[in-house]
Amino acid sequence: MSMESFNPNPTVFATAKAPRATQFAKPHSLWLEDDNTDSEREEEDESNDAEPIDQDEIFELIRSISDPEHRSMSLEQLAVVSAPQIIFDSKSPDRITVEFTPTVPHCGMSTFIGLSIRVRLLRSLPDRYKIDIRVKPGSHQSEHALNKQLNDKERVAAALENPALLEVLEQCLSTATRSA
Amino acid sequence: MAPVSDSNRQLGPENAAMDRVERLVRTWVASGRPEEVQETVSAISAGQASLLDVVKALGEYLTAEEDELRSKGVEFLAQVIAQCPSERMNRQAVKVLVLFMCSKLEDTETIIPALKGLVSLVTQPAFTSVDAVDVVKAMFAHVKMRVLVQSQRFMVYTIIDSLVAKHREAFLNMGDAFLDGYISLAEGEKDPRNLLVAFAIARVLLIEFDIKHHVEALFNITFCYFPITFRPPPDDPYGITSEDLKKALRGCLNATPEFGPLAVPLFLEKITAGSPATKRDTLQTLDACLPVYGASVAREHARKLWNTLKLEIFQPTDPETESMALHTVQVLIQTIYSGTGAETSEDDDIQGLARDACEECIRILKEPEKSQAKPAMKVLCAFVSTTPSVAKFTLAQAVPHLVKLFHDPAEAPNRAPVLRLLADLADAARASTLADGAALAPYKDELLGMLTVGLRVPGGAVHALDGLAAAVRTPGLLGDDERGFAVHSVNALLGGDVAEMGEDVSDKILALLGAVSALAPAHVAETTLPLLFGALPAAAPARADDAARLTVWTTLAFLKRLCMQADLFGTLVARLTATLDALCVPPAPAPAGPAEDRDAEDAEPTAAYAHALLRTLADALAAKVARGDGDVPAYTARLLPALFNLHVYAALAHGGADSVASDPRLVAVSAEVVTLVLQTADVPTQEEFVRALFAAYLDGQLQGIAEGRHQFPEGRTFAPFAPDASGLQKNLVLLFSAAVVALHKEVALAVPDESAFVDTLLQWGIFHADSKHQSDAAEHAVAAVLNKRTEGFQAFLTQKLESSWLAQAKDVTLALPVRRRVITAWTWMTKALQVRGHPSAQAFTDRLIELFDDNDVGWDAARAIGQVVSSDKVLTKKHHAVIKFLYAQKFANVMLPRIIDGAKTASDPRRQNAYLVALTSLIRSIPKTAYLHALPALMPLLLRGLDLPDAEMRANAIDTLLAVADPESTASCALVAEHASSLVATMLKNSMVQQMPSARVRTAALKYLAVMPSLVKYDVLHPQKPTVLRELAKTLDDPKRAVRKEAVEARTNWFKYTG
Repeated sequence: MSMESFNPNPTVFATAKAPRATQFAKPHSLWLEDDNTDSEREEEDESNDAEPIDQDEIFELIRSISDPEHRSMSLEQLAVVSAPQIIFDSKSPDRITVEFTPTVPHCGMSTFIGLSIRVRLLRSLPDRYKIDIRVKPGSHQSEHALNKQLNDKERVAAALENPALLEVLEQCLSTATRSA
Repeated sequence: MAPVSDSNRQLGPENAAMDRVERLVRTWVASGRPEEVQETVSAISAGQASLLDVVKALGEYLTAEEDELRSKGVEFLAQVIAQCPSERMNRQAVKVLVLFMCSKLEDTETIIPALKGLVSLVTQPAFTSVDAVDVVKAMFAHVKMRVLVQSQRFMVYTIIDSLVAKHREAFLNMGDAFLDGYISLAEGEKDPRNLLVAFAIARVLLIEFDIKHHVEALFNITFCYFPITFRPPPDDPYGITSEDLKKALRGCLNATPEFGPLAVPLFLEKITAGSPATKRDTLQTLDACLPVYGASVAREHARKLWNTLKLEIFQPTDPETESMALHTVQVLIQTIYSGTGAETSEDDDIQGLARDACEECIRILKEPEKSQAKPAMKVLCAFVSTTPSVAKFTLAQAVPHLVKLFHDPAEAPNRAPVLRLLADLADAARASTLADGAALAPYKDELLGMLTVGLRVPGGAVHALDGLAAAVRTPGLLGDDERGFAVHSVNALLGGDVAEMGEDVSDKILALLGAVSALAPAHVAETTLPLLFGALPAAAPARADDAARLTVWTTLAFLKRLCMQADLFGTLVARLTATLDALCVPPAPAPAGPAEDRDAEDAEPTAAYAHALLRTLADALAAKVARGDGDVPAYTARLLPALFNLHVYAALAHGGADSVASDPRLVAVSAEVVTLVLQTADVPTQEEFVRALFAAYLDGQLQGIAEGRHQFPEGRTFAPFAPDASGLQKNLVLLFSAAVVALHKEVALAVPDESAFVDTLLQWGIFHADSKHQSDAAEHAVAAVLNKRTEGFQAFLTQKLESSWLAQAKDVTLALPVRRRVITAWTWMTKALQVRGHPSAQAFTDRLIELFDDNDVGWDAARAIGQVVSSDKVLTKKHHAVIKFLYAQKFANVMLPRIIDGAKTASDPRRQNAYLVALTSLIRSIPKTAYLHALPALMPLLLRGLDLPDAEMRANAIDTLLAVADPESTASCALVAEHASSLVATMLKNSMVQQMPSARVRTAALKYLAVMPSLVKYDVLHPQKPTVLRELAKTLDDPKRAVRKEAVEARTNWFKYTG
């Protein structure tokens, strides 16, 4: 990993907050939730009604990945990823496109960021999903090559064979799993 | 020994003493026992012998050719000196002994006992400065530290330490000879125990002695230990910590300003190149040293220090180091700028580092949205707490800069980050002890203007609120009208769509309003509260109107937290109960006909709204009770009758038809309110209340308890305990029970026979209650009375035990729910006795175990074992229950071995399983320490518990495994490793939705799989890794979101699991 600094002083953005209504009541309930009815809550959780995977859940998986250049900041804080940039294919529900925005067009870390998103989703989403990862159109000088590289199975697999790369990758991903 | 002749008779006693000493010496040389030393010492103490006699008696040994004998001779003397009382050590004796011991330092065979002797001698009162000089000279001349072991070197340091403490003057006169001598002695010391003493000595030398010729040498024998990297060995008997050494060394390094020029460059090197721990140690040492080294040294190295520290702030290794670096910057600035007369000078006079650094940071702040702006502001905030002049200068630079940025149209998108920076600065100015309100005063108007405008900047409200809160909290900054203006601006936010507001914003609003209320409640009471109350509609939002409902909830959440103060709370109670009354009993009778049907249909939103109002009251009360507010008891008379009135009216007036106030959910919250208020009332008030309560519930006399707004219809009787009572009336037993639960133990029930009444209540709960709520309420009341008033219930308890009352649970002619209620009731009675350590408690528990055999209720009885000691909200200290210390542990100590034994040895599998159920339920209820010791026996049982068909039991078993999964404990890890493969297989099975319908079990199983890699070494489980990853991939597709979250966590941990 080179020590060259691509963007030493990036812009920081505010992170998204959970919607308000959830703190008061269960979805679609008229009744204010009691602060201390945890015992009852457990019982009600037993229905196995499907809660399909949505945009927010996928965003939740990748928002806290650390930026490889600024480890103390997350991809979300640097606005590299955002929920609206996760798009479900309207025709086949198992096809997802995840778009990300490098902080500067010459960012040499973009491949690595794309790879970290790819690995995180490979590990965390069911096999049935087919994921495309691309940079936001016009946000990077070698956009085409990048997109090609990130969606080439062989090259992703080859990159993961590199122990040094894998170590940095695990470090960046480690912030994503710190469950709240 | 020659026989004593007559002519010697007068000298007899002396000779006898001499003989005795000689004999003791001889015996000791042969035996080495402490007894002889003691006997010699007691002879000397008693005046029968003198120290001189001892020396004489030792004569031949002290001069012996044989090394060992010489050594032993001195050793004996040293031991005697050590124990000899000071009054027997006269000047003469000390002088002789000192000279003697010093001479023995020359002899390599006697040096060690001689040092021992000196250790005792130097503390003697008769020891003089002349002796001191002799001792150190002899030591400098003859002691070779390299050939001595640690304990012997320790004696050397101890001797010098006591000498320096008591005879410093003499050494000062010795001048360089002393310093040279000591430096060569102390050079190269490595043992931490010795170093602690050596550092203490060095500090004295550095401070008290004229060290101008020895600065470098003393620096070398101290700084060479920096940074301390000592790690105490496990179970170190000496208990010296790395922190002790660091402190002692710091005491040397900051002992003299002379060290400054030598130390600072080295410190900088350590900060740049060191590990995070070294960095932190160096920063703390710099904090201690810089003020001593002084302004000129600090100024000379200012640039370099700043450049190094800056790196730790702008590219921090970790938050702790970062904050330490900031602190060191403060110390640096204080060292440079205080005491130079800078306090009186003008802002423009600030030159040098503070100006340069400040300007550097302001340059960075030109891009407020960038990541470097944050650390730059941290530096400026740190400057505000340095010296008054620097603080003033910093604010004069930073505030106008931020204000300008804020108003610059080109920077409009960056207003939120600018507000963040300004809020930080304002808060730093508030926190600064040297800048009172005056520091920000020159910028007050711009500040207030910018912050109030900032409330409406997208994403900026949070920061603007922070800034306003800081301004409000700064003493003497804002006037009353300005505080009013701040509240007014915030009210404008509340006037908007409160439901759209983020939780962070509402928290900040509450913090700000709270800060204003603390100074002047009038602003909030007069402007904010009316606004909020005005936002509460008279009628409930319609079912489909989610937005309006959210507004109501948010408004109530505000009110609940704002109205804690007594007057404000009074207003809250008055307003909410009025709205509640209007909701539950609409003033105008509803139009007849079809409209009534529609009303009934849409009663739920109204009930939910009423419930939310009551909930708000209950939450506010709970918070007030937790704070111990004194105004709560008054609500026994002010609030409770109104609640009873409302609910009783609903039960009587509608005579069966559902109305809002008879909704059981509302009654449940009202019951909470009753308990919350009544528990704070004193005994006489409670007694009066109980009389009225019983009159109402047993005799239908409602006037004492339920007086209020609504007139009860004529001809309807209130008798909730009657067998034919309506369901609505029966529900009101919840309120009755809520009151009984809160009583002091001195308060008698208002009935002639308490036992008979409790028995009635018990029967009612089992046979007449319509719902679980009702029977629970009855059981809670029974348990509370039994627990508090046990004395009067001896006969009752005996009768229950002897009549095998619990056997009703086996009666197959009864309905199963009734049999279960018998068990629950029994459990509550057992619990009431167990928590107060009553002798009958065990007998009650034993009866439960007897039920384990039963086909239908065996498991219910088994579950009850844990419930006996589970935490509950009924028998609590706040409710005046009698609770004995560690009752759960005591119960566990008795029951755990019995249950483990039962689970292993019970004859039939059904009984064994019942024991397993009891085990998981018990473990869930008791503290971890109570079962940790039994873990090896528990492990196989818990694994068996994972095969029980009951999901709750499985989840309990996994939860227990999770609770004991401690990666730090080698014992528990070894235990897990032993069962690792079967654990993996079972947990995988329990995590698949196809095989395990319960989401709770799946979640627990996945959580356990997630911790396994931290418990078990990779080589044990590595063959399973591919299987686990493949299987876990399936759990990623679980229908429940919460389960998927755990699956992701578990699978990630297994990916990272490598050798």
